[in-house]
Amino acid sequence: MEPESNGEKMLVENANARSQSPWIQGYSPRTLWRSVFREDRLFLVLSVFIGVFAGLAVVCFRFAIDWARLYLLGTGVALTPARMLLAPALAGLLIAVLVIHFFPAARGSGVNQTKAALYIFNGNIPFKTAVGKFITSALAIGSGHSLGPEDPSLQIGACIASALGREMRLERDRMRLIAPVGAAAGLAAAFNAPISAVLFVIEEVIGRWTAGILGSVVLSAVSSVVVMRWFLGSESLFRIPAVELKRPAELMAYATLGVIGGLASVAFASGIAWLRPICKALPRWTQYLQPAIAGLLIGVIGMLGAPQVMGAGYEYIDQAMHGQFTWEFLAILAGLKILATMLSFVSGTPGGMFAPTLFVGAMLGAAVGGAQHALLPHLTGSAGTYALVGMGVLFAGFLRAPMTSVFMVLEVSGNYSIIVPVIVANTFAYVISRALQPTPIFDLLTQQDGLQLPSMEEQREENILRVEDAMQPVEGPVLDAEKTLEDAVKMLDHSEIEQLLVRLSPVGWGSVSKQQLLTMASQGNGATTLGALLPIAPVPYLHPDHPLETALRHVDRWPLVPVVNRADFRKLEGVVTQRDVLERYREFGEG
Amino acid sequence: MASDIIARWRFYLRQRPVVLAALTVLAIVFFLAVTGLSQVHQAQRRAIGDRWFNRGIADLNAKRFEAAVKDFRAALLYSPDDYSYQLNLAEALIGEGQRGQALAYLINLWEREPENGIVNLELARSAANQGQTDDAIRYYHNAVYAVWPPDQDTMRRDARLELIELLLRIGAKQQAQGELIALAERVGPDPAQQERVGELFLRAGDYEHALAAFSTVLKSDRHNAAALAGAGYAAFELGRYPEGQRYLQAAIEAKPDDTASQARLKTTQLVLQMDPFQRQIPIAERDRIVVQAFQTAGERLRSCKLPAGISSAGSAPLSLGDEWEGLKPQITQLRLRRDPDLVETGMDLVFRIERATSVACGSPTGADLALLLISNMHEGS
Repeated sequence: MEPESNGEKMLVENANARSQSPWIQGYSPRTLWRSVFREDRLFLVLSVFIGVFAGLAVVCFRFAIDWARLYLLGTGVALTPARMLLAPALAGLLIAVLVIHFFPAARGSGVNQTKAALYIFNGNIPFKTAVGKFITSALAIGSGHSLGPEDPSLQIGACIASALGREMRLERDRMRLIAPVGAAAGLAAAFNAPISAVLFVIEEVIGRWTAGILGSVVLSAVSSVVVMRWFLGSESLFRIPAVELKRPAELMAYATLGVIGGLASVAFASGIAWLRPICKALPRWTQYLQPAIAGLLIGVIGMLGAPQVMGAGYEYIDQAMHGQFTWEFLAILAGLKILATMLSFVSGTPGGMFAPTLFVGAMLGAAVGGAQHALLPHLTGSAGTYALVGMGVLFAGFLRAPMTSVFMVLEVSGNYSIIVPVIVANTFAYVISRALQPTPIFDLLTQQDGLQLPSMEEQREENILRVEDAMQPVEGPVLDAEKTLEDAVKMLDHSEIEQLLVRLSPVGWGSVSKQQLLTMASQGNGATTLGALLPIAPVPYLHPDHPLETALRHVDRWPLVPVVNRADFRKLEGVVTQRDVLERYREFGEG
Repeated sequence: MASDIIARWRFYLRQRPVVLAALTVLAIVFFLAVTGLSQVHQAQRRAIGDRWFNRGIADLNAKRFEAAVKDFRAALLYSPDDYSYQLNLAEALIGEGQRGQALAYLINLWEREPENGIVNLELARSAANQGQTDDAIRYYHNAVYAVWPPDQDTMRRDARLELIELLLRIGAKQQAQGELIALAERVGPDPAQQERVGELFLRAGDYEHALAAFSTVLKSDRHNAAALAGAGYAAFELGRYPEGQRYLQAAIEAKPDDTASQARLKTTQLVLQMDPFQRQIPIAERDRIVVQAFQTAGERLRSCKLPAGISSAGSAPLSLGDEWEGLKPQITQLRLRRDPDLVETGMDLVFRIERATSVACGSPTGADLALLLISNMHEGS
């Protein structure tokens, strides 16, 4: 933090002078100050503030959505046709104006924007984006657009965090990481699931587990959930049915759900991938109409008998979980929700994909469970269990967050007996989705927007080169430090090797050249041991499982680096040289 | 100078502790603001929910179930965990015929309050409708011993009555009798309830308790036709024919079109007329009855072709027909007067014929039925 004006400089100098007076040296207020407000400690404290503010913002966001729904769609469950058609269409028109003229960064779900803040903008997100996201998303979801509040909450949280970070003038590294901290807080409050939020942010936004960020992410997520529960209660977004796995054979049914869910995820993602560029390529004036047309079409779907697809739809997830729809209708609802969400999303209406994904998953799960129950009533359990698993399936297949998908179902259901069906179904969905749609939806959207953000899936599955990949067998003799110089020279008689490794006693490795040995022998030191004779500087050693980049730190300084066994450091597994390492990287780069 | 002061303030305001303190104050202010907002929001939701709920209750009372379902669903949007909203929605769904959906709500309610009487009763009804009798009995038992509001204690009795009905429907008469005895102790002297209990006792085959229940009714209303008929029926089944005759005659007087009582009275009168073992009956009359009963049994034997295997008791090779033919010359008023043991022999054959033919050819009517009932009455005596 550099002082900016003369006045500030003067104050800093005065403070420095005071701190240098001998009687308070070491205990000066400045030292104490700096110690208390150290950057890492401050970051943790700030995480709690981020959580509190994000929690408050998400509570207000929920109220705003609720009020928008009340005033735009009415208070009852049976919506009038006029409201069904006009509310999303007119709201779409207003949203388009707001997004185009005032809040262009509010477009989209919010996940990629948060990633962009982390990787491109050094953690900076204008606060205006949060305001825009808040207003436009509340209008969109409240008026019946098929979008959810979670991703916008994530972005609002990230915006708040970024603003607080700027205010605190955090260092650049900390500033970069502040957006994910806020994102976790926003998502946790929106979804009332702190563990899933933390996992999602680690899995999809940050992409790696680091101790430095984990504590902050957890703190912010927990504090935001506490705030949210203070105001909205701790009840889940839907009533969780009794979870049951009737018998192991039922896992076949869950595998079937995984396959169907995987295919549905591919259809969902492919639809967006195909339709979004088309909509974006249309003339600019059409962008004013696209959200309105999408809203109108969603209203038509509602009028045709499926008003359940309008809005986030948590109440209908609840009903599906409690067997209140026939399996045929559930399947239709899943299809229509995919269509409605595609329309809303590709039109550029701000809003999230989480809730629609959960909706589609729950409907699909309950439909598959219902159909299987009709065919094999003694084999399958309740539709509610299938709906729960179905939510995880779509999360794994469509959002491609496999770990979050498992923990989300566990956290929401609060029942660990569901873990096996969830893992089975999610694995099938994930594998099918990966095979048929190689690029995950978030990466696809990033590419369509012309950004190059790191793919978390690629990062997770990146092949790491290890030392064993470049390691070569030991050529020539390995000398022991206890040997005399005379013996060592005898061993070298028939060897062409220029550089030799010396096994030190009791542990450790050294290196010596053939020329050095011969020189010392010519000076008449033949009877002396190598250990006593050689000014051998210990050579660092590696293990075969070390990442190859570790070898890079040593090979430019040491011509020959030993690779030793982890159980016995004196046992040589091989050696690496700079040439070997570079050669391996070259081969890897060529594929 | 002014710029220095501003710079000094800016410097202090940008110090991290100051920013943190400002954030704390800001957080408190926002917290209070959101608390106010939350109260407004909750009050509004509660009001809307109550409005829909009241509308639903009105529709439910008017048996407009479809509208009631929509109303309660709307109410639940604003208060998803409200117990009475869910319970009324379940009732409306049952009324609408959507028992599956109602069951989902009821199970959810039951998980929250397993001791709730209404929920258990509704679950029992639902299970009974689906033929899940074990579950139904369990839920009915829960309902009987559940917590009921003071003004709904009659529901406990209704739950037990429904349980008894179910038990009788599935033929579990022993269990039904046990429940009925418990019920009878709790219904008090209310004639209508006692009458219902008496009828259930009759259906459960516990005629003694049935007669007691109907007698209780008749103490307060001597001319209650249903109670008289029930008491007559119970006395008839207990073999108390004179008592039964009295009740049945009174029942027919009170309700002349009671054909069941008329038929039962006719049989009762026949029993009383055709029983030769009644006390204080003149010898001549007794002998006449025996001769008549013997003729009746013979005609029954002739009209009912007994399977070849059916013969007289013991190892005697003679068939009942042969026996009857063999005894026929002896069953005259003159011979009976001379040999009183023939009364026993003749009536024994009559009883055996009536029992055998009732097994082979179905339940008899008229005089044959009377003879069968007399045989049952004297069996083992």
